[in-house]
Amino acid sequence: MAEMKKRLRVTINGERYEKEVSPATSLLDFLRTDLNLTGTKEGCGEGECGACSVILDGRLVDSCLILAVEADGQEIQTIEGVGRHGRLHPLQKAFAEKGAAQCGYCTPGMIMAAKYLLDHNPSPTPEQALEAIAGNLCRCTGYGSIVDAILSAAKER
Amino acid sequence: MKVVGQGLPRVEILEKVTGQSVFGADVRLPGPILFGKILGSPHAHARIRSIDTSKAERLPGVKAVVTAQDLPPVRFGRFVRDEEYFARTKVRLVGDRIAAVAALDEETAEEALRLIKVDYEVLPQVTDALEAMRQGAPLIHEEYDQYHAISMMEGRKGNICYHKETVQGDIARGFQEADRIFEHRFYAPMVHQTYIEPHAVLARVDAAGKVTVWVPTQAQFFIRQSVAEIFQLPLIKVRVIPTEIGGGFGGKMLPTVEPAAVALARKSGMAVQIVMSRAEDFQVANPRHPCHMRYKTGVKLDGTIVAREVEVALGTGAYCGIGAVTSQRAEMLAAGPYRIPNVKIDVYCVYTNHANCGPYRAPAGPQLAFASESQIDIIARELDLDPVEIRLKNAIQEGDQTPACGGPLESVHAKETLLKAAEAAGWGAKPREKNRGRGIALGYWLVGGYASSAGVKLNEDGTVTVMTGVVDLSGTVTSLGQIVAEVLGIELDDVHVRTADSDFAPHSTISAGSQALRSMGTATKMAAEEVKKQIMELAADKLEAETSDLVVEGKRIYVRGSIEKGLSLGQVAQLSLMHERGPIVSIQSSSHFPNQPAFSAHVTDVEVDPETGGVKILRYVAAQDVGTAINPLSVTGQIQGSVMQGLGQALSEACVFANGKMRNPTFLDYKIFSSLDAPRVEVHLVEQAAGDGPFGAKGIGEPSIIPVPAAVANAVRDAVGVTIFDLPLSAERVRMAMREKITQR
Repeated sequence: MAEMKKRLRVTINGERYEKEVSPATSLLDFLRTDLNLTGTKEGCGEGECGACSVILDGRLVDSCLILAVEADGQEIQTIEGVGRHGRLHPLQKAFAEKGAAQCGYCTPGMIMAAKYLLDHNPSPTPEQALEAIAGNLCRCTGYGSIVDAILSAAKER
Repeated sequence: MKVVGQGLPRVEILEKVTGQSVFGADVRLPGPILFGKILGSPHAHARIRSIDTSKAERLPGVKAVVTAQDLPPVRFGRFVRDEEYFARTKVRLVGDRIAAVAALDEETAEEALRLIKVDYEVLPQVTDALEAMRQGAPLIHEEYDQYHAISMMEGRKGNICYHKETVQGDIARGFQEADRIFEHRFYAPMVHQTYIEPHAVLARVDAAGKVTVWVPTQAQFFIRQSVAEIFQLPLIKVRVIPTEIGGGFGGKMLPTVEPAAVALARKSGMAVQIVMSRAEDFQVANPRHPCHMRYKTGVKLDGTIVAREVEVALGTGAYCGIGAVTSQRAEMLAAGPYRIPNVKIDVYCVYTNHANCGPYRAPAGPQLAFASESQIDIIARELDLDPVEIRLKNAIQEGDQTPACGGPLESVHAKETLLKAAEAAGWGAKPREKNRGRGIALGYWLVGGYASSAGVKLNEDGTVTVMTGVVDLSGTVTSLGQIVAEVLGIELDDVHVRTADSDFAPHSTISAGSQALRSMGTATKMAAEEVKKQIMELAADKLEAETSDLVVEGKRIYVRGSIEKGLSLGQVAQLSLMHERGPIVSIQSSSHFPNQPAFSAHVTDVEVDPETGGVKILRYVAAQDVGTAINPLSVTGQIQGSVMQGLGQALSEACVFANGKMRNPTFLDYKIFSSLDAPRVEVHLVEQAAGDGPFGAKGIGEPSIIPVPAAVANAVRDAVGVTIFDLPLSAERVRMAMREKITQR
């Protein structure tokens, strides 16, 4: 229990944070427990469901598989930083309109995966959209409406 | 209609897409929150000789350790009181609860679990329903006949938790009249709901002893009842606050982690959160009943079904849970949505050393339809009849009764639904390429409805607030708002509707059984109509007009023909506060609803890889009899998701056990459909306003999963000529069957 804490400096959604963390803390737990950024979800803790997807220095990662200390000095985007200042990101608008979120639990991770896609490929094909969310499980929608939302958001941008 | 029938976005959607929604594990409170963990049995069946928690209690950072000694000696269960929350003398499944700990951090809690010493005497186990029914099988509940059970629990004997025989007509004569008799055995294994949010809870006990439980549940009043029962508290001492729920599919209705969190919170005096790991959730959280089925069907050469005998053995797991309801569902559904004069159905609900199986979207439905509809296709093929034709010939019609359905059925649209699916899929023009095939299946579900109450109040500015305790799974709450807006002639944006907690919501039905909208929607509509009546009366008084001359529209109420002579709803609300009448508000109740059938017919095209046996879904068409779609966006989305869940059950999902321990409790090894496996599900609604639902709406959520495994199996048979009798139709199983060309058993 009395392990050495490590100092961690990260930028999350444009805000700088400096915190002491246990070296065993995952990035997901750091976000959810240490910072109370509960928008990022845990579905399996093993990198299999994608509910904890965040963008770390331009890479889409499962935050449950990354140690918080590994993110030292890096920039993190979470769902809380998408469409800030009361203005929705086109993906958020499209997810709402197309019925792409039902229970909503996979939604933050799904939107991060979709945002990563659009950041790199502004006009994806339906196949590319399906590919982009292949690591994000959804049990409610059947994925069709999510693809529709991604393509619709791509047009909007 | 202006608002009902619109595919409007869900009322809570912006919270969801921005990550603001608070789910089970997201609840935060002032002050520290302890991490709770539950110690489960490593054995499927064992006697407990002793439990020693002393070392765990002494571990620094541990704030409470609880066992059965900390709870009143209560056995609970909705149908038979066969379960103790913490095991006292015996464990009956891997994961049966022994103890729970709460500590300042997760690692300490895990360490404390390791320090609890339990001395077990391991007993022989039985994990399959048919084996458990045999003479000499290990008895899972030795004192079963002494347990208290409600009167419907018939046929209790040995490991048989419930057995009932349902008879219609004369089965022996029926088989005598038949030209051909077909008999097959089928099996569907245990599958899991796999909502993406695992079970989670936060519990706190205040200084006055009042328990508050934050939990993602489909049935807040069930959870309140269970916690009160287990801790022997009056209901007003338990408050359940339902959080957003990250998927339920039936799996979040019965108590799992809640009593442990409450026990720990009571003992420690601190708030305690328990979040299940995915592996724990797979192992113990009430999955779908594994199901053995024997179908014997007698037909005339023209395809008329004259007799059907069905035997079903459901493995209900270590405790009855909701097994009795699943059994009753099996009695209703086993014969299929067909007119059959002579029927005999035997359903056995059997204890095994597995997790107690629970409700999962259409309990017993997909398993029975897989067997029933596979056999209908085998019969059609043998008699050289078209699969659509044989179903049309036998399909039930308005006023028919199926076994155990409770009376003549109304709003029966079996044929329309079947024809809609066949037409949309272009049934006549089947794919003719090698290894490709097309299958159809018809399913139905009987939707009942428990009692509900709801409130509607007019706010001072003319906006409206709905008071409901129904939990939102699939857009129900949005649909309630649409119903109220429609009745009052306002927009959905003028209505506030969200789920209230058990202290403040009028009693609400469960969000399960496809009944939430029918039951709660009816109560809500009644309350809105009463509010409208109060508005009219007050306005008539002020406007010096008859209520029959008033029109409510566009947030105004005016005299027909003279639109300027009117009041805004806000003015009416203000007047009501000064008027002798007082605030405009109404709470209304709806009572039990009779069974109403809802049909779904699916057509799918598949391609089978002859090398691997892998099945690819090329096309999926789903037609469903929905009555009136209050919100077509929600209805269509729910059907699409339901089909995808059914496709997993058809092709890739099964809980695999060794000695009662699940061997594949991860998403890597328990394969649900990902976006890359998913076909685009084409949904076609059969909309005919039905009987007693609000604006003629029917239940939606369950019918759509029922025909899926059967439709896929029938398509695979069409593609490569093999019949698979066991789910799932995994590549391995299909390849083996192709190699051996097993077509009969």
